[in-house]
Amino acid sequence: MADGNVLTAPGIPAAVAPPRTGRLHRLARRRSTLAFLMTLPLLAVIGGLVAYPFFYAIYLSMLNKRMTRFVGLDNFAFLLTRETFQYVVWQSVIFAVSAVIAKALIGFILAHVLHTLPAKGQRKWRGMLLVPWVIPPAISTLAWWWLFDPTYSAINWMLMGIGAPPVAWLGEPGWARFAVILVNVWYGAPFFMIMYLAALKSVPDQLYEAAAIDGATGWQKLRYVTVPMMRNIIAITVLFSLIVTFANFDIVRILTNGGPQDRTHIFGTYAFQVGIQSGDIPLGSAVSLFMFPILAVFAVFVLRGVTRRSKEMAG
Amino acid sequence: MSGASLTAAGASAPAYQKVGSIRRERRWALIGAYVALAVFVVFFLTPPFHMLVTSLKSSSEIADLAGNPWIVQSPTLENYRDLLHEGNYLLHFRNSVIVTLVVVAITMVISIFAAFALARMRFWGSAVLATGVFLTYLVPETLLFIPLFQIIGGIGLYNNLLAMILIYPTLTVPFCTWIMIGYFSSIPKELDEAALIDGANHFQMLWKIFIPVALPGILAATIFAFTVSWAQFLYPMAFLVSSENMVLTVGIASDLIRGDTFQWGKIMAGALMAAAPPLLVYAFLMDYYIAGLTAGATKG
Amino acid sequence: MADISGMTRRDVLRAGAAGIAASTLAAPAVHGQAAGGRLALGFWDHWVGEPANAAMRAIVNDWAQKNRVEVTLDFITSVGNKNLLTIAAEAQARQGHDVLSFPTWHVHEHQRLLEPMDDVMGRLIQKYGPVNQASEYLAKIGNTWRAVPQTAGTQYKGSAARIDLLKQHAGIDVQAMYPAENRLGPGAENWNWDTFLVAAQKCKEAGYPFALPAGTFSDATDWIGAMFRSFGADLVDERGNITIRNNDKVRQALDYAKRLFQHIPSEMFAADDATNNRALIAGRTALIFNPPSAWAVAKRDAPEVARNVWHFPSPAGPVSHTTPHLPYLYGVWTFSRNKSAAKALIEHLSQIEQVQKLVDASVGYDIPAFASMFDDIDTWRKVEPPLGTVYNYPLRPHHKAVPNIAYAPAPAEIAVQMYTQGIQAKMIARMVQNNEPMERVLAWAEQEVEGFKRG
Repeated sequence: MADGNVLTAPGIPAAVAPPRTGRLHRLARRRSTLAFLMTLPLLAVIGGLVAYPFFYAIYLSMLNKRMTRFVGLDNFAFLLTRETFQYVVWQSVIFAVSAVIAKALIGFILAHVLHTLPAKGQRKWRGMLLVPWVIPPAISTLAWWWLFDPTYSAINWMLMGIGAPPVAWLGEPGWARFAVILVNVWYGAPFFMIMYLAALKSVPDQLYEAAAIDGATGWQKLRYVTVPMMRNIIAITVLFSLIVTFANFDIVRILTNGGPQDRTHIFGTYAFQVGIQSGDIPLGSAVSLFMFPILAVFAVFVLRGVTRRSKEMAG
Repeated sequence: MSGASLTAAGASAPAYQKVGSIRRERRWALIGAYVALAVFVVFFLTPPFHMLVTSLKSSSEIADLAGNPWIVQSPTLENYRDLLHEGNYLLHFRNSVIVTLVVVAITMVISIFAAFALARMRFWGSAVLATGVFLTYLVPETLLFIPLFQIIGGIGLYNNLLAMILIYPTLTVPFCTWIMIGYFSSIPKELDEAALIDGANHFQMLWKIFIPVALPGILAATIFAFTVSWAQFLYPMAFLVSSENMVLTVGIASDLIRGDTFQWGKIMAGALMAAAPPLLVYAFLMDYYIAGLTAGATKG
Repeated sequence: MADISGMTRRDVLRAGAAGIAASTLAAPAVHGQAAGGRLALGFWDHWVGEPANAAMRAIVNDWAQKNRVEVTLDFITSVGNKNLLTIAAEAQARQGHDVLSFPTWHVHEHQRLLEPMDDVMGRLIQKYGPVNQASEYLAKIGNTWRAVPQTAGTQYKGSAARIDLLKQHAGIDVQAMYPAENRLGPGAENWNWDTFLVAAQKCKEAGYPFALPAGTFSDATDWIGAMFRSFGADLVDERGNITIRNNDKVRQALDYAKRLFQHIPSEMFAADDATNNRALIAGRTALIFNPPSAWAVAKRDAPEVARNVWHFPSPAGPVSHTTPHLPYLYGVWTFSRNKSAAKALIEHLSQIEQVQKLVDASVGYDIPAFASMFDDIDTWRKVEPPLGTVYNYPLRPHHKAVPNIAYAPAPAEIAVQMYTQGIQAKMIARMVQNNEPMERVLAWAEQEVEGFKRG
């Protein structure tokens, strides 16, 4: 790393480059050493507690069950042949994609709606809409679970009140999938709402005024002003949420523990069941790692797009 | 901050020929807005409302299937009182506060320095690192915690709050650094040039210029770190066993659920009280949060 | 709010808190003499609740003071499988408690990390005679005891049924069938799965469906395991051969399950270990398979339900009369720094004086592994209401039933995976919920179990 610093030092932006080369060189070298030192804690956290365990987990995923023998990619190949795992992949995708789309839509609608309100009322509504996001999800999921409980379900109580039959919320695969997605959307939508609201506020009013003068309808303003201006924040939020939702653990774990018939398992909970409960740690690691390449490619594309757009905007 | 108060001013948009139609359009938009809001407020607040109602019930009223689950017959504060006077709830609360505050502090120090370096003082690999930081979220917790057992066990911190203080920053630092990079990059370069010419060193520059200017961004990052540390579940569940070492998220579940006895009244009361600190933080800092996120995320 | 032991709940809690405070306060005084060192224990958090934990805490604290050992005692719940997570975590971290409670298969699972207990077991067997077979099967690997059968938490999951509802709706008098004495009453000879099916149907029609879980938690796994076994339907034999596809007995068991589950509410496919208890306590079901914890809680929260609950073995099958059994075992990690103290404590806890206290505090829930203790402990005779409700909860010789460990006799490394993933319950769910044909279900199960055979 240290060599690298010296090598790049001359490439320091010209903005601070008065023509006294010797001093500049020293300054720049000192600067990049300093910069490196400033980044060191970050590198230590990521290197020691994410990167190292990550590579170690990759190594683990290539061992046999007893962790005595190196088996290469056998665990991954084995997983692909399992019907249960195919379901898990499929369910994770349904879970993450539909939850993220729902969260994004709801967040977008709410942000818009809030944005049109006068400032005073806005704060009150915003506060109420934020509540799901501030209750620790592990505990609010417990509350949802209680709402779904077959014996005490307060939702079924209402359904019965209007004459509808009670629903086995967590007992039927279809309903159970719906329930875990519902809770995830409930918890996550406010996050999108804040992010979008923040973005909306950053769109200059003049743009809308200009659009209004050109006779743009509300839809056209949305299509040609709002969305393009919010592209980056939408991309970042969706990416972040998609990653986090794919890695979700607590909601499914608490609501259904993967059941009925494994039909609500997602990568995190299935990895837990295989790795921790059944004692096949390598296989569990393989399950957790499965999504990594796909999400990584997706993330790199999104992030590159964001960087490019922000450069365009800045330039 | 300013954005919030300015929005209303959007109403004073240039009103030349089409005043009437614009006004009518706006009124319909407002009505639609309130309807949508009402629908979602009901959806969002139904579970918390049910929590509140349940937390005010005695355990016999909760167990009574004949009663209406949405109404309290004889409200009581006994669940709240019991939580505060008996058992380990206050201890868990204290642990949560300690862990969260320490983690937020560590996170902010790490990410402010790193973001400053990455945004302003390019060095070998800095560009890759700036993007790569975000990618750490791709590594799921369910994958990490198995190797972390060995690391944490190796340094003797299993079943110890310090382990949380060590691990949580992996969840908070990347996003906070990312926000801060965006924020710092949006500060005009002329400012640091001026400072450098005045003979300020980098620390002075950071302290005197960047931190004050980027305060909304710093607050946004702080709130994010706070929310994440306060709500984290998997790591404390995996690493903390003794009740006196637990934080709220696992403490509530493990102490108030005894076998098949879910002390729902207390669980709900505990959950609502656990939601209070983040709620307060948001209530006070919301406007900064929004302003901070905007600058950070869009200009990343 | 009167509790099981007659104390109010708050008193018990306070006593518990005082116990914790006392043990930590007493510690420094003991520490100075540095006699027995430290010991960290992680025992199962008892489902009967605080009275049972308090009894354990009292015994341990008492022992700790006499032996000048500084003890920390954590009660680790099995809710959400936190205990399994703790076991796995400590095995990986090579750190944590000295002694943990291991359920069923997890001694086998971690045998390489468990200290041999032959010395302790040798003395106990000499004193109290042989250990029940199920516990021996789980704890003795090769010729070495890797764990010591634990009284606290070891349970049967026989029937816990409503006397009134079964009499009224199914015409079965369970008190007459299994009276609180050492004989079988009239009707006991017909207490088999066919009778059970009819009763399930009638109770369902009357609005009190049997609450039989079929998810992946141990209550579901244990009773379904016993049911399969009573049909002779083993998925894997003791040599590790898969015996699913061409096994008529498996088909028979599945076919029976399919008929039975026509009368079980579909939400039971997502049930956890507490769902059935809640159904009983809420007065919504006529029968569950459970130890007396549900009854104990009902005694506090729904006394009129508790008064009508009777415990007796689960039904007999065409091949054998099995009753679900879930033993807990004390294991000492090899990385423990105080093995001698750990062993001494375990031995102390296994003596009849302590066992009696534990059984008492758990209202008969806890089952000692030594048959010789049964006649000396009178708890099961005394617990009420109704008097004798748990008399037939522990298996007694006249029941002619055998304790069953789900997925035995399969080799442990396969069994533990079938157990934690609830393969049999999922087979039933596929038949019932998805209406999949038998062949398809068997093929699926075979493929799944084949996967568990990987080394």
